[in-house]
Amino acid sequence: MTTAISIEDLTFSYSDKEAPALKHLRASIEDGSFVCVLGHGGAGKSSLSYSLNGLIPRFFRGAYQGKVLVKGQEAAKLTVPHLSNQVGLVLQDFEAQLFSTNVELEMAFGPENHGLPRLEIERRLNHFLGVIGLEAFRQRQPATLSGGQKQRLAIGSVLTMEPDILVMDEPTTDLDPKGANEVLTLAQTIRQAGRTLLMVVPEPEMAIEADQVWLMREGELVAQGSPREMLTDPALLKSCGIKPPCFPELFQALDWSGHPLTLEEAVSLIRRNHPLTPKSEARLPDPPTPSICDLILEAESLVFNYPLAEKKALRGINLTIGKGEFIALLGQNGSGKTTLAKHFNGLLKPGSGQLLVQGKPTSAYSHQALAQTVGYVFQNPDHQIFARTVEEEVGFGLKVLGQDAGTIKKRVNEVLEVVGLEGYEKKLPFTLTKGERQRVAVASVLAAQPQVIILDEPTTGLDYEHQKSIMELLRTLNQKGHTILIITHSMWVAAEYARRTVLMKDGAILLDGPTRRIFAQEAKLAEAALTPPPLVQLSNALGLQALTLEQMVEELRLKVY
Amino acid sequence: MNIFLYLDHNTPLHRLDPRTKLVSALFLFGCCLCFNHPLYLAFISMGIVGLAFWSKSLSNFWRLRFILLLLILFSALLWPFFAQGRNLWWAWGPLAISRESFLYGLAMGLRLATFVGIGLVFLSTTRNEEMTNGLIQMGIPYPVAFALSTALRLVPTFVGAGATIIQAQVSRGLDLESGNIFKRLGKFIPQAVPLFIYAIHQTNTLAMALESRGFDPGSKRTFYYEPKMKKEDWVVLGIFFLSFAILLYLRLGLSLGIIIPGRL
Repeated sequence: MTTAISIEDLTFSYSDKEAPALKHLRASIEDGSFVCVLGHGGAGKSSLSYSLNGLIPRFFRGAYQGKVLVKGQEAAKLTVPHLSNQVGLVLQDFEAQLFSTNVELEMAFGPENHGLPRLEIERRLNHFLGVIGLEAFRQRQPATLSGGQKQRLAIGSVLTMEPDILVMDEPTTDLDPKGANEVLTLAQTIRQAGRTLLMVVPEPEMAIEADQVWLMREGELVAQGSPREMLTDPALLKSCGIKPPCFPELFQALDWSGHPLTLEEAVSLIRRNHPLTPKSEARLPDPPTPSICDLILEAESLVFNYPLAEKKALRGINLTIGKGEFIALLGQNGSGKTTLAKHFNGLLKPGSGQLLVQGKPTSAYSHQALAQTVGYVFQNPDHQIFARTVEEEVGFGLKVLGQDAGTIKKRVNEVLEVVGLEGYEKKLPFTLTKGERQRVAVASVLAAQPQVIILDEPTTGLDYEHQKSIMELLRTLNQKGHTILIITHSMWVAAEYARRTVLMKDGAILLDGPTRRIFAQEAKLAEAALTPPPLVQLSNALGLQALTLEQMVEELRLKVY
Repeated sequence: MNIFLYLDHNTPLHRLDPRTKLVSALFLFGCCLCFNHPLYLAFISMGIVGLAFWSKSLSNFWRLRFILLLLILFSALLWPFFAQGRNLWWAWGPLAISRESFLYGLAMGLRLATFVGIGLVFLSTTRNEEMTNGLIQMGIPYPVAFALSTALRLVPTFVGAGATIIQAQVSRGLDLESGNIFKRLGKFIPQAVPLFIYAIHQTNTLAMALESRGFDPGSKRTFYYEPKMKKEDWVVLGIFFLSFAILLYLRLGLSLGIIIPGRL
């Protein structure tokens, strides 16, 4: 075996930041092996990826010490275009990576840059279109593809340069579960073809098949080893801000021996060592369901068509939401979740049927009046942040609603305290971390004191710690009486926090009910290309009620003598 | 949302070399400049509509129908005041409209709309990359041609982001529908700043992606769609050149198609 990449004491600081982004990294990757990198936000995972294809230090300037050897050549001494047929880099943001007018030209771009003859480009196109499974889309405009297809195209357009090493920086983060699966399957195919693969992944479950797992924390490579060594140590993972896989954590919490990583392992270990008592009629008490008397949002046979679209985006939605509920809206991209949610705050008007907010149709409200009842936090906080201070940003909504300065100040202070950003009043919003910007966005919607808060993918792109803190915040708000509706792709978030789950598919509601009941119907979920989180799968397999780790520990203690 | 004009059909016009289409478009622009009589221009306009029909690009004309109509209408309404003719219809101080100036205005409207129409046929039948390749082969440096095509490519991305940003601010109570012009300008900032930052971020990522895919403006590259001048291309070029020459002769030699002499 030869070494594909060898990192020798690499330290790098970006020229505009003092703290180094990478600190004394030492590692090597064997030819043909598959490495997964995990770590909290800002741990240096992207910087590591950029250093492998020379973007660091060629594109991003800064203080660079140590060496990265790619097939024995020093990366820092080569230009990025020169290195590109040895190390291919795929970025998280697939939209920005695609710039051609059709699929084949996108894939031909790399080989064209390397001056390959037409016939050779043709051969590679034919080969790699098959690998990424887009043969039928050869002439399609990239913009018309689904998220998963776009990311596969981005990977394919790097593969056509036939690099020995492929580096992917969070290729699944912006995708729905179906798209993420497509990309992970493709990664397996690429690896079987003998290429060296380094992939930054957001969840440890995606790293189970890797040869090596690297854990990063604050610019350092704190541990590296086999998935079994790395992923079965919940304390180590938590110290790196990573959500530990649930099975080892469960076994540890129960003081059971064994470190299962997959569902099968966990089920067979439990069946062998800790059989459930047959008399297990003892059940967990049902979670308290608030009695819903006041309806706040009602959709009645709601139909909506986007102009020029062939298919209806919403096909007769009937849904009632009561005050104080906490609801997760699940479904793949294009299933109509966001379209439905945008009806609740009047951004879209029903094509037919109606949508009532507090018993009145949305068309009877002005945008401003509706904004005070139904708040909507967009997925990307950067789509709304514009002000010079956090205070001004959060107070913006109140200002346009015509509140006086004193009230604004008071309310801004209140909400900043609620979202845990006291003391941030005078800071520049753009300099905050993604998690903090997300909080600023929530605060700015919260300031108008809306009864209902809708959040479009509040946890996407955040690391575990930030995901947990934003969700805890929502839970607190819910306990204070706010109605919360989240659109999410994250199954564990839905399982852990939402009392009710609504599953959408093709513009219609497929399932609607208490979260536990929805997640028990694995076959129905599969119809929408979703799977429950691993812990709930185990719960289903064992015939338990638990949705969260705490519940599972409690329930197993009860049922395993 | 799709704001690209290219329509993926396989008509003879689509198959022509991009250079042929570029040069032919220039000849056609020239043809439009030959006359200032609406009747003659109407013939040329009809020809362009014919080309659009033949290349299956009429749907784009329909998409932009309001712009085309506005161009004709505004020119026909405004131009008459800036041209003088002999058969006076109406006069008030320095303002006057005559039969000739009215027809001249109509002609100018048709001319502008025809210019746009020629561009539409060109963009409907030519891919962004083909145009870039055509420009490069005509001697435009690659970085310039690439920058042009990338700018075109980024427009729909920014339009999409802009729409999301507006929705996000409206959700926070920003009222875009009322207020005088100054108030409205103030409301522009919450929309412009996020878009500006988005654009910087987006271009930065694009630059990274380009370099990672081996893009190097200085080095030699190949083209997957290699345009080749075929027999048809030369025939088409010949036809358009000849038409232009004939029309030029009609105007200069025979003084036809003139409603107001001495003007373009």
